[in-house]
Amino acid sequence: MLLWVFLGLIVLLSIGCCVFKDLLYVAVALAASSAILAIVLFHFGANIAGVFELSVCAGLITVLFIATVSLTKDSDMKTETRLPMYFIPLFVLIFIGIDVFVMQWLARSILTVSIPTQTGSFQKVFWELRGADMLGQIALILAGVFGILSLFRVLGKDHEAIHKSVAMMAQSRITEKEKQHE
Amino acid sequence: MSNQVFLLMSCGLLVLMLGVYMLILYRNLLRLIIAVEVVAKGMTLIFLAAGIHRQEIGLIQSLLVTFIIVETVLAAIMLALAVRAHKIYGSLDIRNLSKLRG
Repeated sequence: MLLWVFLGLIVLLSIGCCVFKDLLYVAVALAASSAILAIVLFHFGANIAGVFELSVCAGLITVLFIATVSLTKDSDMKTETRLPMYFIPLFVLIFIGIDVFVMQWLARSILTVSIPTQTGSFQKVFWELRGADMLGQIALILAGVFGILSLFRVLGKDHEAIHKSVAMMAQSRITEKEKQHE
Repeated sequence: MSNQVFLLMSCGLLVLMLGVYMLILYRNLLRLIIAVEVVAKGMTLIFLAAGIHRQEIGLIQSLLVTFIIVETVLAAIMLALAVRAHKIYGSLDIRNLSKLRG
């Protein structure tokens, strides 16, 4: 019963991500769905994946997302089309229909798949069987770091432009203060 | 297939389709990043259902940890790209990205 509630909440919060107009609400809905997904992972004994989901997806990504929303505030909120939000009830019904169809097909076909012997605990799988994944993960994290560094890299011309804009802003503030004093 | 596996897989598929719906219909870059995250949530549920069905929670946890790292790196790079695009064009419309050079 509790699983029904958690999974229903995940679906509702995902619909909320489609429907909410304010991006901050969308970020909070996504974080909440990640937290509930972490609870589901804990419920099924996937503790380490649950901890990763809770700390990285519900924590780090939400912080990054809210920082980006505040950096790009009020950019396209008015021009964003509202059509996806109006059609969401219809499409949810269509998706549920597709879901039922696919699940019926899966229920027939998966029964024939034989279950192999177990590979062991997370530690054994992660460090012994899938040790090569560590290299891939390290490469991915480095790719992410270098990608972000290259995107935020400030070139020589950009430096000059930034210095000029900062000087202009400072000058305008000084003139405003002088006007206020007068 | 047990009821729990059936439930997890159907919810995962539903969430995945909602994410794809957002990916197709929205043009704001931040909403597209959210859509990718929603798709990732659905995939996580489907992975979990597969792990429970095959009774291999250890294996599926190691795959999920890798998947979460991939998801995070992707989100971080896309968000950095969104900030950069907003700085250049003053807009987060995905159609503006076709003008990016170098």
